[in-house]
Amino acid sequence: MDLAKFAQLREILPEDRFMLCYSGYVSESVLEAVGGTLKERLDLYLTEKKKIKVVFSIFVELMQNLIRYGSAGPKGMHIPNEEKAGFGMLMIIEDDDGAISLLSGNYVSAEEKTAMESRLERLLVSTSDELRDLMREQMRKPPELKSKGASLGLIEIARRSTRPIEAAFVPATNSQYFFSIKAYV
Amino acid sequence: MSQDFFLAATSRTPEVSIYPATHSAVMSGECYPEDSEKFFTELNRAVADYFAQGASSLNFEIKLVYFNSSSARALMELMDSLEQRSTEGAKIEVRWFHDEDDDVTKEFVEDIAADYSNLDIVLIPTLDS
Repeated sequence: MDLAKFAQLREILPEDRFMLCYSGYVSESVLEAVGGTLKERLDLYLTEKKKIKVVFSIFVELMQNLIRYGSAGPKGMHIPNEEKAGFGMLMIIEDDDGAISLLSGNYVSAEEKTAMESRLERLLVSTSDELRDLMREQMRKPPELKSKGASLGLIEIARRSTRPIEAAFVPATNSQYFFSIKAYV
Repeated sequence: MSQDFFLAATSRTPEVSIYPATHSAVMSGECYPEDSEKFFTELNRAVADYFAQGASSLNFEIKLVYFNSSSARALMELMDSLEQRSTEGAKIEVRWFHDEDDDVTKEFVEDIAADYSNLDIVLIPTLDS
């Protein structure tokens, strides 16, 4: 990373709004550390208790998704310790209209992309009643079918998000895709 | 007299107390354990021990400010086990406190309660945090 590139970051990241970014390996201890910081900052920045809680709950589900489904990383790097971890990026940022966007991204294989697309299909187009039904259906699935269908975490994110969630796959190196998902509060 | 059960809160798990003398239990705080299987195994064992000591009724207060999706499934499984005990004759009432404006939690509790025919779950829309 040279200084010029680093300076470019400033151009895309607003300087005077609520923002929290993380990039790298995510493990449960990272979740706890970043989550602690996030909570403190949200308490200072937001007055609405409900909004703080919703931001935090979406954050936890996004981070746990990265831990579970994050691949070994863009270059197939090995996970540095024995703790379960995944590679990913997370950004929590206040938009122009005051809404908070939560974005996370991680690398997936072509097969994972295909499987995820069909799971996401229902989540992206569902109404809140449909999401409630989907949650109920997924909760009651027998253990052998639990891995089929959208994860409870993704359904939870879609239910808590105040606008429909968005998702995208962008081709990356090593025949992987960069999967990103966005929720709003 | 059976022993009280007490599990101290951590930054990611709630405080849990079970009092055989008053047939009551309380779970309060936040619940997004690093290892949810471990936490809920301990909790389920404590509930099983409580009934194994001869108790036939329980008033269970759940005051969770926040729980994540994997805890939601484990909580449902705990409620399933209480429904089973109710079917077998135990008198159990669950009082589930939630924030008034927390629809997702309210609907979650309503949806699991709808599947039970014996377990009494009362939703209470007030929660101090």
